[in-house]
Amino acid sequence: MTGPPPVRVEKALALMPELEALAPLRALLVSIARPDEATLWSSSGPYLTLGKRGVHPDELRRRMPQAFHRITEHLQALFKAYVEALECQQRADAPGVVAALLRAGRLEEDVGREPQARTWYEVALRVAEALQDRRPEVEVLRALGYIGLALGEYAAGARQFQRSLALAEAEFDQAGATAASEGLGDVALAQGQWGGAQAWYSRGLRLAEAAGDGPRAGRLERQLGVLARKQRDLGAAGDYLRRARERFEAAGLADEMASVLNEQGLLDAQLGRHTAASAAYREALAWAQRAPRDGRLELSIRLNLAELDLEAGRLLEAEAELRRAEQVAIGGHLIRRLAQIYTLMGRLRGAQGDETGFVFFEQAIELAKAVEHSVATEAQVYHAYGVFRSRLGQQDEARAYLERARELFDSLGEAVERDRVEAELRALSA
Amino acid sequence: MTPAAHMEPSVPSAVPGKGALALLRILVVAGEGGSAGSLLQNLRQWADDGRLEIDTAPDLPRAVRQLAGQRWDLVLAVLGEHPDDDLSWWVDTLRGATGSPRLIAVAQAPSMGLVLRAEKSGVLDVLSLPLRRDELVRALERLRSVASETAVPLPFVEPHAVGPYALVGQSPAMLDVYKLLARVAGSAATVLVQGESGTGKEVVARAIHINGPHTAGAFVAVNCAAIPENLLESELFGHEKGAFTGAVTRKIGRFEQAGGGTLFLDEIADMSLALQAKILRAVQEREIERVGGGETIPIDVRLIAATNRDLKDAIKQGRFREDLYYRLAVVTIRLPTLVERGDDLVLLTAYFVRQFAERYGKKTRAISDRALELLRAHAWVGNVRELRNVIERAVIVATDETLRAEHLPDELRGEETTLADRPQGGLLTLAEAEARHIAKVLAHTNGQIGAAAEILRIHRNTLTRKMKEYGL
Repeated sequence: MTGPPPVRVEKALALMPELEALAPLRALLVSIARPDEATLWSSSGPYLTLGKRGVHPDELRRRMPQAFHRITEHLQALFKAYVEALECQQRADAPGVVAALLRAGRLEEDVGREPQARTWYEVALRVAEALQDRRPEVEVLRALGYIGLALGEYAAGARQFQRSLALAEAEFDQAGATAASEGLGDVALAQGQWGGAQAWYSRGLRLAEAAGDGPRAGRLERQLGVLARKQRDLGAAGDYLRRARERFEAAGLADEMASVLNEQGLLDAQLGRHTAASAAYREALAWAQRAPRDGRLELSIRLNLAELDLEAGRLLEAEAELRRAEQVAIGGHLIRRLAQIYTLMGRLRGAQGDETGFVFFEQAIELAKAVEHSVATEAQVYHAYGVFRSRLGQQDEARAYLERARELFDSLGEAVERDRVEAELRALSA
Repeated sequence: MTPAAHMEPSVPSAVPGKGALALLRILVVAGEGGSAGSLLQNLRQWADDGRLEIDTAPDLPRAVRQLAGQRWDLVLAVLGEHPDDDLSWWVDTLRGATGSPRLIAVAQAPSMGLVLRAEKSGVLDVLSLPLRRDELVRALERLRSVASETAVPLPFVEPHAVGPYALVGQSPAMLDVYKLLARVAGSAATVLVQGESGTGKEVVARAIHINGPHTAGAFVAVNCAAIPENLLESELFGHEKGAFTGAVTRKIGRFEQAGGGTLFLDEIADMSLALQAKILRAVQEREIERVGGGETIPIDVRLIAATNRDLKDAIKQGRFREDLYYRLAVVTIRLPTLVERGDDLVLLTAYFVRQFAERYGKKTRAISDRALELLRAHAWVGNVRELRNVIERAVIVATDETLRAEHLPDELRGEETTLADRPQGGLLTLAEAEARHIAKVLAHTNGQIGAAAEILRIHRNTLTRKMKEYGL
């Protein structure tokens, strides 16, 4: 190949200051980075991470209009939502103002800008609080609850859902109460509070069934299935998931089908039914293809498929699936999920007794800190890194990484994962 | 040091399984919102000679269910409004399906780009709508001809064992390597192993170690390109506790770990100039310092370095130190590519088939003529590493004694283009030839339009226009 060699992503990113205005450029740079064919087959090929991919400045320059187009589109949609809010204000249509502001917040959420979305929702809340009809406020509080959940601020999220529920009940807003119950169940589930999650999901399910809201009832049954699986009540989990699947298939909801089959795969894997799990994931992928494009869902299914292969010792298949997931993440502007992918790649190398696999954990830690800004992800990476070092007989390093993971889980108030780390530390000392 | 090879007796003379199947099982899948009815009708009317068993599925998800339950030979799928996306999903879906069914994709006016991508992905054929009888019949004939493969016995290969690795090959190019290796192993000289990716540089380094004076010590390998630059120094020289953020414990580096043995520095050209200077000092002075430590530690290691780059060229570009080059290249061993090794490909195939059959508890001990033909025809960019990878995957999916073409990856199967079936005797139209050549150059340049235009000696705007025209 003629011309100068590409610049490595690690070097390219080192030249870019951490400015919010450059986020789209950073995303573009990452999405166009690729390994060259020779590197793929070199002895460092199996250890290829995002940082080692290459990028051509010329291509970045050529693709810049695409990035500008995306930014413009996003800003146009935001501005339009704001103008609609103003028009509603002019017409004294306050619920319309709230709806427009909510729309703007959702646009921000769609591109992964949760803090910005929260700002829109907070403005919407101020407007909604002044209304006689409390249903818009119920909706805004719910949106704020999900932002809290997404940002790992569980207590704040729970407070918003509680307020949303109380208002919905006072207003006899059954749909609002059902949705708030689901949100409260989601927060409890994320915190490992199984009893609370069970109570909220069951309550939501009763309300949804009473209202004849099939899709919502299906979602709550799926969540009850998730919960039952986590509590190791696998029979109940299977029943819930089957019922959810029947509802979604009847309603033709492709994204929900993909999601429930993804969960079915996890259940089958836990039951040791690897063939069934693999079939469930593959069908989930097929439904995901029919659903509105959602890279996050596809990525989640592929990661589960890779983990299944990893657990079954099908290391070649696991690696191939992880590389496909990496491509989906890089090409689909989902680099936040790369930390999870590289953690699994590190685990895969650990299963092969390959010490150089540490490079994946190092890259994952860097991404969790600098890109994902997620303490939970960082904690998970340190946990897996500790186990990796322990398997290689490097006990001191293993202990240091596990202690770091415990510290991070403590800071989040995450009990279930913390206990798992504690168990690893005890095993190390034994 | 020539590995022995002889023919293994009593291999099956005909491939059981698909070749013996009189019945082809075909799953017809309608596109989004479409119906499989007319396709089914065409298939039954034009091609069913009583040896077809046909079923339908309304869409991809339902097809996945049917594919999971039973073995199919062929999926005839209609691609929707986004044929490229649909094709990728189908290829991905069939990758995990029982019995590796082949795919015939049906699309409205398929672009040249779609056809090329389909070929590369191992798709049996791309047919355009409305279906034409001759095209459909020819595609099915191809499937049947593909099903008849003859088993070829694999030679028994006695490799030179190098721990878990092996040196296999009898080609003149490899005989030269063995001779040089035998001469150099006995000394303690630093060796530079050069060769393209996957030619076996580490295996040769291990052979030198095992047959050399440092064999009692450890063989420690470091891949300089795999390790992030900021971590490589501490990986090589070690560090003291607290030397930098993340230095949670004292770490003994690879130089020290290899004490009394051999340190293999792979992909040495990827090292920064600053680190090259530190390596030079270690080689010259025979001592190192841990990162964050003041103590000088003497080292006694044999150094073997390897690279797939042209170091002299890197020196000219100022990316590699000349003094270090001469320190490392006391003896240089150049490894041949797989293509340069001729019939070693068969020996290596035989060796890997046997190795992986043992590892995965398979009975595989022969290869079909077609599979071998595909292996011979492939351009092995990754050389022996790529071959090993292909054979490992094939052995995993093989279910009987013979490794067949269907067990090979899509990329290799895709190389059996439909050219032979063309009515013009395999001749391409000018547009087809141009599209194929452009696709090839773009693959070579990793999609870099500027670099591709330079190679093709056309303006990049012209290239962009042609890419659009051909759907590349």
